[in-house]
Amino acid sequence: MLRREFMKLAVAAGLGLSASGAALAADMPAPFDKPEDVKIALVRYLSTGDFFQSYLSGVEKQAEALGVDLRVLDSRQDAALQADMVDQAIALGVDGIIIQHGLTESMKAAAQRAVDAGIKVVAFDVDVENDAVPQVEQSDYLLGKMALEQAIKDNGDSFTAGYVYVPGIAPLDRRDVAWKEVKEANPGITEAAMFGTLDNPIANSVANQARSILQANPNISVVFAPYDEFAKGVKIAVDEAGLSQDIDIYSADVSTADISAMREPDSAWAATVATNPAVVGEVSVRTLALMLAGEDPDAQVVVPPTLITQEFLNENDVKNMDDLGEKMPQFRHADVSVAEWIPLPKR
Amino acid sequence: MVKVTCKLSGLEKSFGRNHVLRGIDLELRSGEVTALMGANGAGKSTLVKVLCGYHFADAGKMELAGKPYSPTDAADAISKGVVTVHQSIDDGVIPDLDVATNLTLDRLTEPGVGLFVNDRKLRRQAREVAESMGLTMDVRTRVADLDVADRQMIAIARAMARAPKLLILDEPTSSLSASEADRLFALIDRLRAEGVAILYISHRMSDIRRVADRIVSMRDGAISGVFESDPLDYVGAVNAMLGHQMTEVDIDPVSGGKPVLEARDLRLFEDSPPITFTAREGEVIAFTGLLGSGTTELAEVIFGLAEASAGELMLDGKPYRPASASDAVTKGVFMSPKDRSVNAVVADFDIANNMTLPFLKAFSRFSFLSERAQREATSEMISRIGVKCQSERDGIGTLSGGNQQKVMIGRWLLKASRVLLLDEPFQGVDIGARRDIGHYIRQTAAGRTTLVFVAEIDEALEIADRIIVLNEAAIAGEYVNRNVDLNSLVADVSGPGRSRTPTPPGGVPTAQAQSTLQNQASAG
Amino acid sequence: MKSDNMNKSALDLAIRYGFIVLLCGLALFFSLYASGFASPRSAVFIFQSVAITGILALGVTCTLVVGGFDLSIGSVATSALMLSAYSMVILEQSALVAVLLCLAMGALVGLINGILIVKMRVPDLLATLGMMFLLIGLQRIPTQGNSIATGMSLPDGSVAEGTFSAAFLWLGRHRFDLFLDRLLPVPVVLFLLIALIIWLFLGYTRHGRLMYAIGSNERAAGLVGTNVQRYKIVAYMISGMLASVGGILLAARLGRGDIASGNNLLLDSVAAALIGFAVLGAARPNAFGTAAGALFVGILLQGLTMMNAPYYMQDFVKGVVLVAALVFTFYLSSRRGGRKTA
Repeated sequence: MLRREFMKLAVAAGLGLSASGAALAADMPAPFDKPEDVKIALVRYLSTGDFFQSYLSGVEKQAEALGVDLRVLDSRQDAALQADMVDQAIALGVDGIIIQHGLTESMKAAAQRAVDAGIKVVAFDVDVENDAVPQVEQSDYLLGKMALEQAIKDNGDSFTAGYVYVPGIAPLDRRDVAWKEVKEANPGITEAAMFGTLDNPIANSVANQARSILQANPNISVVFAPYDEFAKGVKIAVDEAGLSQDIDIYSADVSTADISAMREPDSAWAATVATNPAVVGEVSVRTLALMLAGEDPDAQVVVPPTLITQEFLNENDVKNMDDLGEKMPQFRHADVSVAEWIPLPKR
Repeated sequence: MVKVTCKLSGLEKSFGRNHVLRGIDLELRSGEVTALMGANGAGKSTLVKVLCGYHFADAGKMELAGKPYSPTDAADAISKGVVTVHQSIDDGVIPDLDVATNLTLDRLTEPGVGLFVNDRKLRRQAREVAESMGLTMDVRTRVADLDVADRQMIAIARAMARAPKLLILDEPTSSLSASEADRLFALIDRLRAEGVAILYISHRMSDIRRVADRIVSMRDGAISGVFESDPLDYVGAVNAMLGHQMTEVDIDPVSGGKPVLEARDLRLFEDSPPITFTAREGEVIAFTGLLGSGTTELAEVIFGLAEASAGELMLDGKPYRPASASDAVTKGVFMSPKDRSVNAVVADFDIANNMTLPFLKAFSRFSFLSERAQREATSEMISRIGVKCQSERDGIGTLSGGNQQKVMIGRWLLKASRVLLLDEPFQGVDIGARRDIGHYIRQTAAGRTTLVFVAEIDEALEIADRIIVLNEAAIAGEYVNRNVDLNSLVADVSGPGRSRTPTPPGGVPTAQAQSTLQNQASAG
Repeated sequence: MKSDNMNKSALDLAIRYGFIVLLCGLALFFSLYASGFASPRSAVFIFQSVAITGILALGVTCTLVVGGFDLSIGSVATSALMLSAYSMVILEQSALVAVLLCLAMGALVGLINGILIVKMRVPDLLATLGMMFLLIGLQRIPTQGNSIATGMSLPDGSVAEGTFSAAFLWLGRHRFDLFLDRLLPVPVVLFLLIALIIWLFLGYTRHGRLMYAIGSNERAAGLVGTNVQRYKIVAYMISGMLASVGGILLAARLGRGDIASGNNLLLDSVAAALIGFAVLGAARPNAFGTAAGALFVGILLQGLTMMNAPYYMQDFVKGVVLVAALVFTFYLSSRRGGRKTA
């Protein structure tokens, strides 16, 4: 019964992507010839928010497509608990573990214990300093870089900018590298103000700050807000100050809510650069599957980001993330860690 | 021979505009018990608090054993040998810890004790202290589980454990039974023999007769009399304290009009006998009895705080069964509860808001309060019952205990009631204020029935038209307050089947009655 | 003696007006040193930035007055945020329905808090802490942890078609003309209105007076015939409803249903209420003080942001203000009074 279900799924997946050809369970390498016996665990550090929710759905879908048994362990930002959860997964007798975020200090030893137990480990967005553990990454640097390139394309290489940044948050720090480089390379860009906060609701707190900043620096024409919550906050402030014609916002990350904010009439939110978190989730599972099948993925598996402009959204009448995936195939699927035998999730 | 342990000269202390101590000169001598008497608000407690380092004096000097003495805080005072047992028991003990820890607590704060607590050693020390005091309880008992008297003994035992130079006892017998009080007095005798100077603060004449070597009376923040000739002039001391001669209150008992409140076969507890009485319009009835005799329970039942297990109450001929205090108040049954600081005073409010609290509805329109109406009503009541204060906007905390009590009773006199219940209205009130309150209650008694619940027979005699004695939740006797046979009354209070109190040899009957009440309180 | 009296009255003055003077001094300082600070729009910004926490703080003030505490306000606010988005975007209801639903939810949460505390005798901090966790979880259940926005895909595969209605967004975004065009935002007007109502209610009605009495001595209040339980429950219901008003305004401003724990909202509003103790030397919770406290924090943050102070300075400064206010309240005020004990 289960196998029949799975076959149907696999067939459907195969049909959906004619290029990959029909993959049948029978052709799969061990241990995926009996996928229901394969157990993998997702050990999470961060889980609250659209990004993480979407990442999880990607992991779930790819696991379902493979037919493996997925356990999700969520430490809710408790570093010690996350390490314990790895041990718990080891005790459960899983074949593979995906470590999603966390602190190097607490996860390094835990990852090593898993590797020692003969378990395949993939890390997403956390460096566990272990050669046996490949790192899946969305390139935060590229996210920042591509958004800024679009800003220069739209506004020329000399403008006054506001920058939203909270130091000490790893992805934001990596995006900050791009901002520093671009500033260096373009002396015409002046940073009038840097602000930012993670007080939640973040958008509301950032809006309060941004309004003060815009009041104090009326000459700002571009705001670089490399995190969508920041961008939302800035947009609220810009709207409230009645400056939506005069200011362009460039950001990173995307969600359904972001799409509608970008598409509002006269929206100041010009462009965002994003990796589809669901795709990152799928890639994480596929990378683990490759390892379980005995293949050896690269030490770093980078999921490339996509530039999404307000113009594109309007032209294609994109309403939500599903639309975006449809209209922008490179957003829906990344050709990373793929193999003939791995069925892709049903679209 | 007489060595001065502690010498105070020109001590001054003010709180805001309130000049509480006005130049106190006092010598406390080694091996002598000095009784300090004073009405509420005379400044006794403030004087004690200056001595034990809780307040600083504004002016004046203190000497202890010939050396200048100015404690920086309570701990400093203790380490210099001035040890105080405070009036409110829970200042003196830590309820959540066991007896052993309580008895040895001060040693834990001494410099040089180790980090870890040696429980066995602690218990041994504690047992020694307890034995020297004649305490027999297990030192591992939690203090919170002890009764009030035992807790008080623990507080005193703690003080004794410090081998004090000057021991201050602030109303130490107020919650002790007679036998425990005797133990305390024996200890005081011993400490006196050892040369400790003792300052003994009390309202209770029987205590003072028993222990005092000299009496110091205070009035309005100054020493108004020192009595040390043998025999001591007790009447003079009371005079100096009150400023006028104590006179018997003359009561012309009224028999009352139509019945207002009737109790029919009321049983306070499951297995208690039925109580039946009729309270009539215009009369004041005092219910008196020992602790646990049912006076408080009766008040609670009438005010809707508790339910009687059987029987019924009638108010103006109609069945009356209050569901709650607010229900009782709407039906015109008011109660001034005992223990005012816990049950009545709203410390954050001024006099006007405290006074008008039950009747805010009457002082508001569309829920909005009229402060003017509140203040007018309050200031009228203040002048009628003689509250000593600057204005009705003073914080309630700036008043002395007696004046606070006047406000608490005054609040229930603002509006006409059918039944006014007063539970221990004279608790912690000096004789002057007691007379004022009693006088005013009698003066306004027409138009309602007034039930007063008091433990002290003196107080009942001072206020009531009729006295009903309760014993073990039953009516043990009833007296019209005219030439009452005190011996019979005391016998009723003690209850049948108990040894009748022998006539006191030359003693004052009322004082004897008091100490008998004490005796019985502990026995019951 | 005389100089002593003068010291005393100086201390009195300092306690009474110290905070107000500090508030004015700060405003003056920022006007001079932060360009663009001194303008009517800037003033309105400050009010707007504190409007939501201010409204929550007024609710917490009501529970503080009866001697309680409400830790759940932050999560009530974010639950209202989610609920309003859910009812408009997914259930496609009107703005009125959304607002009424949120208010009912706030009142219900307050009622449950009150019943837990009054009837089940759960200590207030614990009861509302439990409610806080419960709500943080509950608000995520209907959407499986996703934020709500128009066009989002629903679990059944369809797409949410509802939108935030213009009338609802008006609550967060409309501005009334006052001297300048489009100056006064609706949340500010609501904040001032609610502050006025709570101030009148607590300070000048018998209900408010009885609530203060309950907070100071619950037994005494009960023994004069006050229905203590009912007043306490009402206090928590006011708190819950004001928190959901805050959540509604937040939703109207953000234009979507953001999942958030609301812990920062909670902390900021509690800080405002506690700072309020120090205003005018009240030394107890009061509506005017709470509003002034919220404003004080708002002015500080606005000024610091304009002067490009980093974000961590803001938390630090908030903490300093709070500690200073508590010292004002508990140390200086107690020295001023000096209770006479006899």
